[in-house]
Amino acid sequence: MGTILSRRMSLGLLGGLVGVAGLPGLALASAATRKRFVLVILRGGMDGLSAAPPYGDPDYVTARAGLAIPGPGEAGGALKLDGTFGLAPELAYAHALYGAKELLLVHAAATPYRDRSHFDGQNLLENGTAKPYGASDGWVNRALAGLPPAATAGAKDLGVALASRMPLALTGSAPVTNWSPTVAPPPTDDTLARIGALYDEADPMLADAFRKAEAANAMAGGNRPDGDPYQSLARAAARFLLAEEGPRVAVLELGGWDTHARQLGAYSALGRNLATLDLGLKLLKEGLGPVWNETIVVALSEFGRTVAMNGSGGSDHGTGGIVLLAGGALAGGRVLADWPGLKPKDLYESRDLRTTTDARAVIKGILADHMGIAEAHLARTVFPDSADAKPVAGLVRPA
Amino acid sequence: MAIGEKALTEAAIAANRFGLGSRPGDLAEIAGDPRGWLKAQLAPETSLPAPLKSLPSTLDDLRAFTLWLKSLRDEIEDAGMSPADIRPQTPGEMIEQSKGGKGFSVEGSFVKYFIPRLQTALKARFDTAVTTPRPFFERLVHFWSNHFVVSSAKPATIAMPPSFERDVARAHATGRFHDMLLASTKHPAMLVYLDNIQSVGPSSPFAKSPPPEREYDFQDVAPRPKGLNENLAREILELHTLGVHGGYTQADVTSFAKVITGWGLARPTLGLLGRLAMPGDLKGADLFGFDPAKHEPGPQTIMGKTYPDTGVEQGLAVLADIARHPSTATFVATKLARHFAADDPPPALVARLAKRFLDTEGDLAAVMASLIDSPEPWDEPLRKFKRPEEFIVSTFRAGPGPLLTGPMLMVILNEMGQLPYYQPGPDGWSDTADQWMGADAVWKRVDWSVAAARGLATAEKDPSRLASDVLGPTLGEATAKAIARAESPAQGLALLLASPEFQRR
Repeated sequence: MGTILSRRMSLGLLGGLVGVAGLPGLALASAATRKRFVLVILRGGMDGLSAAPPYGDPDYVTARAGLAIPGPGEAGGALKLDGTFGLAPELAYAHALYGAKELLLVHAAATPYRDRSHFDGQNLLENGTAKPYGASDGWVNRALAGLPPAATAGAKDLGVALASRMPLALTGSAPVTNWSPTVAPPPTDDTLARIGALYDEADPMLADAFRKAEAANAMAGGNRPDGDPYQSLARAAARFLLAEEGPRVAVLELGGWDTHARQLGAYSALGRNLATLDLGLKLLKEGLGPVWNETIVVALSEFGRTVAMNGSGGSDHGTGGIVLLAGGALAGGRVLADWPGLKPKDLYESRDLRTTTDARAVIKGILADHMGIAEAHLARTVFPDSADAKPVAGLVRPA
Repeated sequence: MAIGEKALTEAAIAANRFGLGSRPGDLAEIAGDPRGWLKAQLAPETSLPAPLKSLPSTLDDLRAFTLWLKSLRDEIEDAGMSPADIRPQTPGEMIEQSKGGKGFSVEGSFVKYFIPRLQTALKARFDTAVTTPRPFFERLVHFWSNHFVVSSAKPATIAMPPSFERDVARAHATGRFHDMLLASTKHPAMLVYLDNIQSVGPSSPFAKSPPPEREYDFQDVAPRPKGLNENLAREILELHTLGVHGGYTQADVTSFAKVITGWGLARPTLGLLGRLAMPGDLKGADLFGFDPAKHEPGPQTIMGKTYPDTGVEQGLAVLADIARHPSTATFVATKLARHFAADDPPPALVARLAKRFLDTEGDLAAVMASLIDSPEPWDEPLRKFKRPEEFIVSTFRAGPGPLLTGPMLMVILNEMGQLPYYQPGPDGWSDTADQWMGADAVWKRVDWSVAAARGLATAEKDPSRLASDVLGPTLGEATAKAIARAESPAQGLALLLASPEFQRR
């Protein structure tokens, strides 16, 4: 569920007030080759078995009756990754990245959360402890404190959330900012200049926030929506990460994965969402240009969904799902899965894909080998209570 | 007769810091006796403000969720399915089931059903704040409904915050703290929000010989309870009374949770939930019920004192003690001092308010009178940064803004990060500037200032005059100059609304 109001709704509701005009993106100098990290929070419980169907598992078609995607080569069939796993046909760009060894799929993975509430599950995913509300700040923010000095030189804010409200994942004491397009009619430049000058003269705190917002708008290429909501945010994320004084880490959110009904079909919510996620990867890669080679994107959800179809052509809240990794810095082109199987006896509580990989182990591997964060900091501060989730090695392409 | 600068400054503090923003002409009126103007507002409300009169009753809000579930069941049966097909697996999943065939989503239905309700309530709260002649009292209502929090962010209580606010914060804002604590703790909205209706004493008759399992019943507002749930007990101690460092332990929380097992909805209420006929305008307290079968038998010890098992009286005795505990006095005094004096509350003020709280056994009118008579809230204007809701409200009090519907209000406040009735957690909205001065939030306030100024400008106002009218001597030279030099009235008004003086209180 995430937030009660989607940006799409906001745009619709403000209707008359809004004059949405695209601003030309600013040409930004390509930044030095520092490492970048992008977290995409997939809110609502993504169906990993649809996003990455294990078409080669002999039990797949039976277990997923009604939801199974045809095998590679068939009409509407999965896009082949290896002999067991494929990607949903909507993830065509991701599939191309896989071919270029810039995508890595981790299957049967999840956070340590084992119940089925969106709210608790997302809270745990973001707070980085082993329980909901276990911390009041987020693991991404805590990770920023462990970045090596060389990685942070020149950056004003170390992280940016492309969201109107700071997500818990990036909340904390390390300097971060957030940005989202404005839906109200834009003030004139002259009015903004006068307000900025007034703040500079009369109120240092407001001046600081205002100048930060201005800098953020400059990095994002204005503060008007640029395409569909998520497209707009993905483009902006790339601009932020490119900027010389810009953040090293970006957090994106994509909601709408709670697919209890009609999952299959060209116009299903799941199909649209997968296509949006796919396009987002494309926009990130294109937007980042050469910096894509220094970037790793991690996308995951608060939990997976039930293996069996429910009574309405959808699936209900489950456990194991996928973690999708992308980026030019990745040692990609492979699938990482200790596959638990889909026979009734293999399932978690007789209904869900069993989790065999702790998502924290994957993220720790990226943060250690790609971002250069010390393992002690990861174990103690970023993901406390994660001693059993040893960092996965070898995820990053050797330099 | 000219009014002195000190008198006008105090009038501006009374109207803007204690109140919800001055209307043109307010300062001159208040300047004679700002403290008297505030104290007059400590009298309880004689009738509900007009915008709130047509809002649904607590019973209706409570039934809303159940009635929605019922309508859902009808649709499911229409589709030839059985409610068992969508039996929830866990509480969190309750609203997440679905009905097939027509692309019907339970979540979509839920949002469609409840968002208009919330928008209506939001607009009523907003209109009350903009039009009230008792803005200090109204601020206190907002303060207490951010202390005793029930949030729409929890699906099962999505419809309840407005009537909870009316029954708890509005009814007792200047009454006795103990009464407000009781009104909150016995309110069905709180009992649902913090899960006490799901709490069962581990040795209670209910737990030892549970009634036979029924097929899932849509008249229940929650799945069958199985054991102790500490949520409400913990938050009462941590957030409502003693404060997190108030001197209690985890064992105290568990004991207190056992004490309030059985606190829930009256049996007749449960029966009424699914019926369509409305049995009158029942308030929260009328819907409370104690179920001895779920109550944990035996004495319980909390913070060193043992309370014998006297049924519902056991919990009442604990609440009476913690309501007048010194930690509670300090906790409440600290929050009030933070709200009315400074983000970093002056210790002398906290001590004075806490003492008054203890001396009067939590008489909030007496505590507020002591606050009004204290020097700290008056000694430096503009120390507090307005939160988004009060900022928007104050722009409308300064003059007619653009036509704002409930849905638009919802979007604007959501973008600024403070959608009323939608606090992210039971600890409520933060009361310090650092939480509200994020870059994105400030930018949206600037955007809003410019948009609102366009509406104001049609009234052919002189921005400089309006600025001194609502800000008095707290208007600084830089802002006055910037407004005077504006290229148009609309730009001058935008500069006024975006100015540091107007963003603060």
